[in-house]
Amino acid sequence: MENISPSTLLMMVPLLPLAGAILTLLFGKALGSRAHLPAIAGIAGAALISLVLLVSTSLEVGVAAGLHAEPVRPVEMITPLWQWATVENAYTPAADTHAAIPGTPLSATTHEVRPFSITVALRLDPLTATMLSIITCVGLLVAIYSIGYMHHDPGYPRFFSLFALFVFSMTMLVAASNFLIVYVFWEAVGACSYLLIGFWFYKPEAARAAKKAFLVNRIGDFGLAVAIFLLWMSYGTLDFHDTLSANGTIVPGILGQTRLADAGGYQLSDAAGFAGGTIGTVICLLLLLAACGKSAQVPLHVWLPDAMEGPTPASALIHAATMVTAGVYLVTRCAPLFVAYPGALVMVSIVGATTAMVAALIATVQNDLKRVLAYSTISQLGYMFASLGTGTLLGFTAAIFHLLTHAFFKALLFLGAGSVMHSMGGVIDMRRFGGLRRVMPITAATFLCGACALAGVAPFAGFFSKDEILATLHSKAWPEAHGNHQQESPAAGHAQSDMSRFMPTALNVSTGTTAVGSAGSNAASVNDGLNSLNRPDVWQLLFSMSLVTAGLTAFYTFRAVFMTFTGPLRVPEEAGHSAHESPPVMTLPLVLLATASVVSGWVLWSTDWLTHFLSATPSLTFAAVAQTAVPPVFHLNLAIQGTLAAAIGIVIAAIGSLGRRSDGPQIERFLGPLGTLFANKFWFDQLYSGLIIKPLMLLATLAAIIDRSVIDGLIEGVARVPLAIGGLLRQLQSGMLQRYALAGVMGVLLMVLVLAWQLRS
Amino acid sequence: MTQTTSLETFFLLAPEITLVGAALVAFLGGAFAGLRSGWGVSLVGIVIAMALVGGQSSDGATIASGGIMIDGFSTFIRWLVLASGALLALVQSGDLFRSAVSRLSGLQQRFSQGSTCEEAGTFLILLAGLSLVGVASDLVLLFVGLELVSIPTYILLSLKRTDAHGQEACLKYFFLSLIASSLFLYAAVCLYGIGGSTNLVVIGDRLRSSDESIGGIVTVLLPVTLAMAMAGVAFRLAAVPMHFYAPDVYEGTSPGNAALLSTLPKVAGIVVLVRLVSLGIPATLGAVGSGGIWYLTLFWQLTAVLAAVTMTVGNVLALMQTNLRRLLACSSIAHAGYLLVGVAVAAAAASGEADRSLPVIATGSLGLGGLGATLFYLATYLVATIGIFAALTYLGHRWPEWTSASGPRPPREEIATIDDLNGLSSTNPVAAFSIALFLLSLAGIPPLPGFWGKLSLAISALEIDFNSAIAYGNRRAACVALAVILVVNAAIAAAYYLQIIAAIYFRSTKRGVQADGGLSAGVAMLLCLALALMVTLQPRGLFISASRAGSDATVDAQLLPDGQQARIHDSNTSTP
Repeated sequence: MENISPSTLLMMVPLLPLAGAILTLLFGKALGSRAHLPAIAGIAGAALISLVLLVSTSLEVGVAAGLHAEPVRPVEMITPLWQWATVENAYTPAADTHAAIPGTPLSATTHEVRPFSITVALRLDPLTATMLSIITCVGLLVAIYSIGYMHHDPGYPRFFSLFALFVFSMTMLVAASNFLIVYVFWEAVGACSYLLIGFWFYKPEAARAAKKAFLVNRIGDFGLAVAIFLLWMSYGTLDFHDTLSANGTIVPGILGQTRLADAGGYQLSDAAGFAGGTIGTVICLLLLLAACGKSAQVPLHVWLPDAMEGPTPASALIHAATMVTAGVYLVTRCAPLFVAYPGALVMVSIVGATTAMVAALIATVQNDLKRVLAYSTISQLGYMFASLGTGTLLGFTAAIFHLLTHAFFKALLFLGAGSVMHSMGGVIDMRRFGGLRRVMPITAATFLCGACALAGVAPFAGFFSKDEILATLHSKAWPEAHGNHQQESPAAGHAQSDMSRFMPTALNVSTGTTAVGSAGSNAASVNDGLNSLNRPDVWQLLFSMSLVTAGLTAFYTFRAVFMTFTGPLRVPEEAGHSAHESPPVMTLPLVLLATASVVSGWVLWSTDWLTHFLSATPSLTFAAVAQTAVPPVFHLNLAIQGTLAAAIGIVIAAIGSLGRRSDGPQIERFLGPLGTLFANKFWFDQLYSGLIIKPLMLLATLAAIIDRSVIDGLIEGVARVPLAIGGLLRQLQSGMLQRYALAGVMGVLLMVLVLAWQLRS
Repeated sequence: MTQTTSLETFFLLAPEITLVGAALVAFLGGAFAGLRSGWGVSLVGIVIAMALVGGQSSDGATIASGGIMIDGFSTFIRWLVLASGALLALVQSGDLFRSAVSRLSGLQQRFSQGSTCEEAGTFLILLAGLSLVGVASDLVLLFVGLELVSIPTYILLSLKRTDAHGQEACLKYFFLSLIASSLFLYAAVCLYGIGGSTNLVVIGDRLRSSDESIGGIVTVLLPVTLAMAMAGVAFRLAAVPMHFYAPDVYEGTSPGNAALLSTLPKVAGIVVLVRLVSLGIPATLGAVGSGGIWYLTLFWQLTAVLAAVTMTVGNVLALMQTNLRRLLACSSIAHAGYLLVGVAVAAAAASGEADRSLPVIATGSLGLGGLGATLFYLATYLVATIGIFAALTYLGHRWPEWTSASGPRPPREEIATIDDLNGLSSTNPVAAFSIALFLLSLAGIPPLPGFWGKLSLAISALEIDFNSAIAYGNRRAACVALAVILVVNAAIAAAYYLQIIAAIYFRSTKRGVQADGGLSAGVAMLLCLALALMVTLQPRGLFISASRAGSDATVDAQLLPDGQQARIHDSNTSTP
């Protein structure tokens, strides 16, 4: 092992699942019921290597230094694989564009020829190492579970091939060190998701859901594409890391250490700063749009609940634990771009908190167990976004912390739901079964662990991560309440004043160098409009929303638990007499995930290891982020508030569900008109149908009519000409040698005549 | 430039001599030594020739000797010729044509077996001729090389298929080729009239000189020269107005021969075009006389128009085809149009630079430049086209629709129409994937090689006078229009390429294909696939060598013939 460099190991992480996918694809039919072997071997290898990399990276970061007295040293390792599509002397930037290689000032007159190249490089830093470990470990457990779950499916090899392909794409997405490569794999995970949602493509709902997911995601992908164009325009590179140019100078990457170190105050003195003004804000908002698409945030959340038409393991891995967190990853990675714009940041929080609350409200009236979990995923992702939007170090690390614990307990809940579905003969409507704890004790116990973690009950994982998110929101809402921390180190409130201090310089950047110089005044107004949202009262509202959401989460989670597992035993007739506990190959992952859901929160929180570890990510060592570091403090009052909210939720759920037949619509009756609102999911689908789909259909119909009556008429008129030409051509193409020769010679004669005429004139 | 003695000339021509030697071994071995198949011999010969070319790489120095010139351009062409030659030899050796019409009696079978030696030898002669075209710097040698390409082609066409269709195809090709050759000979005569020499370097020098009397001669001879030369080139490229034969001939011959016809003559045509355009381009700073400017101006106008017309005609014709080989023939016409774009752009760029008396390479060529883009495109086109025909050869015949109840077993049918490929993805997944990939590359879908080729062509066109306004009648407007036409044509072409892919992947059939075309064709297909994937992942190497070959062709072709000093190529463009 000592002879293998970390670079090789890093390459192995995506390569092994890819090899597994290809082998499964090629030999799937031959392997038959053992078709899972290559895929699982690949993912298992990747998981092992990821953990090794996690340990080695954490050794490099070093142990927690208590209060973060000095700024943490950034840790990253870049493994360039190859330069793709290199074109020497590819282009000259037009005189007035911004597309300079940063660091080399571009005078208006030089038409310097620049090479173009796409760096295919992998990176390893704490954020990537954490994400890789989550993806591969959860992926491995879910894959093992799938052996049992997909057992009788005719598409068994196809499933595992796609599954391994997804793990490959996702690991590449988090390990890539170039925006374009991120985009490629952003699309690749989307494609895998599409294929897995539509896995049972002969079911019309599944096909429709796959199409919907794909189309809604296009909007986000469009945002990412435009963001990448703008990044290229503003920075002249798409690499995250610094690279060496041919003549030996350092080309600062967008998130490279040179820029992070230089741009502490967004000074323009060094050209390696961050793009400012309107462009900077627009880039952030477009990145947010991209993240919203992939992470199912309002208003692009509508695809995720429908995505539950796919096989449950795919839902667990892709639509709960990993792929949907890509948006959180992207925003965290781009933290330095965001922190300059309090307006863009507060938008992240607003989107997140709104999503969390809306989704939680909808979840309270769902009767489909998987849909409850889908909405809870959306809601929990909303929490992460709310936390990211604070722009503090604690905010970013808390989001990743919650991402980690959420990956465990949400995968657990989904797999538990899958286990229920498996034994209920495919029925997932909670009104049709109950009291299942008697027939499926392991599933029930593990599901309860997951539910407690999701609801934020005290020692379970979700409690700690949610507490950190509430704390970081609280510190933005009531900066003075956290005043005593500010004396010890530069804290949240301080950071805020910091930001307002360098906002003017950021604006100078815009008026100084953006291509849209004339839009300078617009830049100011756009930023001011968004920045005015960055007020304590807005943050107070967001905090309250999050607290209410915590209560709602506990309510709907336990409503599902009570409806499914307690009360008298009822099984639907589809299950026949075979209602049974799932086989060990399915319960083992459940038990492992349950263990992780119980202990991971306490372990990571009490040692403060994750926060310290993540703070060594280059993006988070950026001065404006790192300055906001706070010592780990247990906020007792916040913990009490959170627990209280959860307790109230659980109690209401218990009152509503226990001791009664749980199939009645009592909640809807209790909620009245609100219930209708929630049951119809705030009419988002109808809204989109009315505002976008129907008008588009109308337009399409109109276009079709015009096409048939007007255009076709015209075309048929015009088509006489090409038809005549075509007739002529066909006549020429008669197969008659003489005519060919004649036409050729005539053509040459024509050329002679035309050329002679050209010369004469 | 290094001048050499005539003995050294023989060493420089060693690759071609090796090919001819191998051809003799194949001929004589087949006739007297009972050699069963000549293709092994031809592969060995090609590999030895490759080794010799590799040993000759002379750090970009130009060596002129007698009528030949070894420079970066000719080395690039030699590699292209030998590599595609090796692939084609693999295809041809599997291309044992057996159809319903000529279902073989024992006698014919033996004849067919024996004839592979003749085929292999003829094929090697063809390669030697083509390689000679690449190194020729003399009109006579150029013409001889071109004929050495044409004559073996007639023989190959007639050997492969003995039915009426095959003979018709062969005759058509023969007569039209004769016309094209004779027209090209006219052009050669006119060039001799301009330059007073058969040496291209001398002709170029005279053409560009500011001598008034030359201006007069040029204006008289230029229309005939260019039009006739273009006729000869157009026939080999299958470009308008000499494109008519392509669909008939491709349809009438075997897939292996179609692969040959759609690739090697195109290389010859491009070489001749590049040699011709470089006549007008000055090597160093200095004024170009009116003759040279007229030459370049008419040259780019003519090629630009032909490029636009050829692309469009090829694609429009291809849209109507259902026969696979006819469709590919039409598509090869369209690709000839794309190839012409780069040449037109190079001439246009040079004519502007000649106006301003500036060196071409220093300022004119951002990106690859027109010639480099054309050469790059040619390479990507060769890989994809040979790959498709290799796959078709490998797939061979369909299973006939037949049950034991319905009478005697019907004869096997060759794969002819698009529908014959229905459901290929389930019966032959590897071949299906390869064909789809090659088609997508031809269509120019990123990130496949064909995309990089079309991209560099379009960029080279857009770079002409990059900072000037687009106004009616200027070169920038014409080149931008050319780029737009190219892109629109690429979109049209996608329609018929995707139609084939749809047949392969989305339709099903009860009849599969037999895959009886021989393993070697399958190997050629896989090699093409590997090459295509290599260029996809790392186009850089090909970019660099193509752009160096392109710039070498324009710089070194007009070195003074008496060359006292050896001109070593600019050190920063030497081999990596």
